[in-house]
Amino acid sequence: MPTVDPLLKAEAISKSFGSGDSLVKVFESVDLTVLPGDFVAIMGPSGCGKSTLLHLLAGLDDPDSGVVAVEGRSWQGRSLEERARMRGETIGFVFQFHHLLPELSVEENVALPLLLAGWKEERALGEARECLDRVGMMPRHSAFPRTLSGGERQRTALARAVVRKPRLLLCDEPTGSLDAAHAAEVFELLTVVARERAGAVVVVTHDRAWARRCATMLHLAAGGLNPSVEDGPPGAPYGNPGPSGSR
Amino acid sequence: MALALLAGFQGHIRERLIAETPHLTVRPEGRGEFLPADGLEEKISQLPGVLRVTPFVRGRVWVTQSSRSTPADAIGREGLSGIVMDPPLAGALALLPGVEVTLVSSRTRLSPLGPVPIVLSLPLSGIVPPVTSRRKPELELPIAEARRLMALPLDAASGYEIRMKDPRDPSRMAEEIRLCAGRGVSVSTWEDSNRPLVAALKLEKIVLFTTISLIVIVAGLNLAAITAVLAATRAGDAAVLAVLGAPPSTVGRVFLAAGVLLGLAGTAGGAVFGTTLAHVLDRFRLIPLPTRLYSIDHVPFRLEPADLAAVVVLSCVWSVLVALGPSRAVARMNTVEVLRANG
Ligand SMILES: Nc1ncnc2c1ncn2[C@@H]1O[C@H](COP(=O)(O)OP(=O)(O)OP(=O)(O)O)[C@@H](O)[C@H]1O
Ligand SMILES: [Mg+2]
Repeated sequence: MPTVDPLLKAEAISKSFGSGDSLVKVFESVDLTVLPGDFVAIMGPSGCGKSTLLHLLAGLDDPDSGVVAVEGRSWQGRSLEERARMRGETIGFVFQFHHLLPELSVEENVALPLLLAGWKEERALGEARECLDRVGMMPRHSAFPRTLSGGERQRTALARAVVRKPRLLLCDEPTGSLDAAHAAEVFELLTVVARERAGAVVVVTHDRAWARRCATMLHLAAGGLNPSVEDGPPGAPYGNPGPSGSR
Repeated sequence: MALALLAGFQGHIRERLIAETPHLTVRPEGRGEFLPADGLEEKISQLPGVLRVTPFVRGRVWVTQSSRSTPADAIGREGLSGIVMDPPLAGALALLPGVEVTLVSSRTRLSPLGPVPIVLSLPLSGIVPPVTSRRKPELELPIAEARRLMALPLDAASGYEIRMKDPRDPSRMAEEIRLCAGRGVSVSTWEDSNRPLVAALKLEKIVLFTTISLIVIVAGLNLAAITAVLAATRAGDAAVLAVLGAPPSTVGRVFLAAGVLLGLAGTAGGAVFGTTLAHVLDRFRLIPLPTRLYSIDHVPFRLEPADLAAVVVLSCVWSVLVALGPSRAVARMNTVEVLRANG
């Protein structure tokens, strides 16, 4: 089997908050490898550290021990400036809440990562409109976030996350704030758009039905990441077949 | 605005000083008089920039009326027909315009009975308050009478008063006259002779500028508070920027720009408002003053570009300094905690 360089590699990472009596151990010895084309779902009870794990993967926080490396480059020992640049180049992020900037229109919000990367405004807006078209938000491209519905906001946030064609798309309960109908719509878009524009996807979700449709379904617990008992069926509709998680 | 008000009043006072006091006064050093033979009057009046040279005679006299008398500095000038004196002096002797006043000189003349003081009677033609406050009461009288009182020869003068075409920089002119008159002559400018007043005007300006600086600083602290609140309420957005790949320096700059823009807007607004108000109030003389108390009938405003520039520069620099703190705090924030706090 030809070896493919992993997009993301987390080795034996552990994380705790506080110290002394108030020490909270979130998880220990978590391993995760994400290959190009992977579509990984992470599930787990509330408070088990799913958001914390995504923050560590995105280099927003440091693990107590272990190493996280994106495309072979570790976050550790890099300055904040360097991390920001690396994050902008390789990672897209979708949150539970849209986190769009209220002063900017939909297309400006989507173009923002490109503008931060130094693109010319003209080109950035063009690319942003292309993404908006993919998520069906083109008709509202000049609207402001406060006038959008929850589903529309989340679709815009999705467009913003993939506008720079990230190698890795991290989603933290992207449908958590939506009702079932909108959640289905956003999730559908996520799977389609992500395959077009992102190298690989790691998505945290509580929706078992959707998680089951992902290529890999992992369960986070204090002891680590384990393949879920109901692992995705072979030949799942999205991503690479076969588990690529904890091994 | 306040500076314009002060500049207006100060400008008015300076104008009156310039209008009513000699720009330069030339006197012999020590006791003595200038005589026409010196040719000094001629020489000075031929200097460029000199408008007019007039001789004057100074001396101490006793002013007597009925049984009362009081000492005074007398100064003889050209173009007078009677005595003009300060109100306090007239008040002390209960004098009214029109009465005959007797002046007794400190000089004496020899008579068959020995030396007797020189005495002169003249009508009081006016009681006029002085432009500047003086330590001693003064009276003015025609120069010819003054010469007689002081027992000076015809055409002698205790000194010359000089009016200049452009009185704003009198010290350079004073220097020229010193050169041309040679030794034994002292030259004083209108700024010298009104030194306490001129110094008070300068001090007043410094105090006012300090006050305005304090106001700007307090307003700046207010701006700091606003920027800090802005930074706190928009920390979530700053965290999103960080997640989207904005380095801390960029995030900091965004908030710095916000704070500074706010400061600049405030400065610009204040400058425009103050300038307009000062202009309108001065142009249409909107604030009247009782003429009995003040020498002018409305509150004058004069906007000096330098004053305006100083305040604007101070305000701008201060708003940058003040916005720096909160923006650096935002740049150094813990992204994860902010994200967690903002859901
Ligand atoms: N700064 C912190 N200080 C102390 N404890 C923290 C801190 N951040 C997170 N935790 C704890 O870490 C644990 C994991 O938090 P995390 O938000 O990652 O959970 P989660 O799996 O995302 O939960 P949910 O499904 O509700 O979003 C929680 O028990 C939380 O209380
Ligand atoms: Mg979470």
